[in-house]
Amino acid sequence: MNRNVIFVLCVVVGITAVLLVGKRASKPPDSAIAAGGNAQNTPAPVQGAGDPPKGSLAPAFELKSIPEGKTVPLASLRGKAVLLNFWATWCGPCKIEMPWLVDLQKKYGPQGLQIVGVAMDDTEDKEIADFARKMGVNYIVLKGSEKVGDLYGGIDRLPLTYYLDRSGKVVDETIGLASESVIEDAIKKALQQGN
Amino acid sequence: MKFHRWVLFALCVGWLSGALVAQDASTPQGRVFVNFVSATNAVVSPGHSTPVQFTFRVLSPYHINSNQPTAEELIPTQLHFSLPGEVAIGRMQYPAGKLMSFPFDPSTKLSVYSGDFVVRGMVVAPTQSSTGTYTIHGELKYQACDNNACYPPKKLPFTFNVTVGSRAKAVRKARPTPSSPHIHN
Repeated sequence: MNRNVIFVLCVVVGITAVLLVGKRASKPPDSAIAAGGNAQNTPAPVQGAGDPPKGSLAPAFELKSIPEGKTVPLASLRGKAVLLNFWATWCGPCKIEMPWLVDLQKKYGPQGLQIVGVAMDDTEDKEIADFARKMGVNYIVLKGSEKVGDLYGGIDRLPLTYYLDRSGKVVDETIGLASESVIEDAIKKALQQGN
Repeated sequence: MKFHRWVLFALCVGWLSGALVAQDASTPQGRVFVNFVSATNAVVSPGHSTPVQFTFRVLSPYHINSNQPTAEELIPTQLHFSLPGEVAIGRMQYPAGKLMSFPFDPSTKLSVYSGDFVVRGMVVAPTQSSTGTYTIHGELKYQACDNNACYPPKKLPFTFNVTVGSRAKAVRKARPTPSSPHIHN
């Protein structure tokens, strides 16, 4: 009996340790993000916890476009590389990325890139539309929902960007403000894969 | 013997559940950005008012918008109260935010709170107030960022006591109460 108890306890402690270490290892350390400071120092894309893993099909959703109000299923973009950028009007770092995304849409749109901004604001569509217009946004803007946020790991911080290849698989992810070059490299990767 | 094994199995399941719960508590959704430090427990006579102050601590490395952010789309820090009819709180005075720029946009200054900040107000007891001690439920609404990312708006519940008595006494410090039974995130 004693031997059984010791064995079971060892297994339990082992599993617990593996779970905790695994969880820790799968998350970007807070200090790394906070200390990231300017975008140049931002750590390379890191896989977050609960997010769709790289190589998996991005969770399907349908959201309303702003300001058009049309329902846009993610699946309708199949065949294009998709940069899925979760953002909000109250998010300063998101605002920094927007002009870069505008430029990258212009540059890589003809090669098959479609940038999609998913606004996680709990506000009127008009406010989001006005903000996007002010920022010169030239890509699709969708009104996010908690349900879709949950599909993508809960969206506990913004900006959060997924890069999907032409077959809809996640090829990369950036959490927090990423530098323009990191975003561009991930776009190139998405464009090259999933043909 | 068999009974012992079942007990052992139950303990294992309990242990693993605890580990999983502990994991969830460390997820960003459960991350703490601001703590309630203290509030003055106000003592006020019917028909009179007395000052009250609330101290909060923004944890490093985060900052939150002040009550008067520099852009309309930014979410201001605000206090809200659930008040019994016996007292009212008014003339809220929020501290001015520190004008700071951040690495994500060095050219723009934002009005923010970081570290400790104190919000002041006046507790008023109408003349018809019944004497007694009332627990007031408050809630701090804020939205935090760090140098690299922003986090969804949050609510921090807290409580403090107001005593309506015939003679006003000096105020004393209340202990932080991290959760409220009436206001939830």
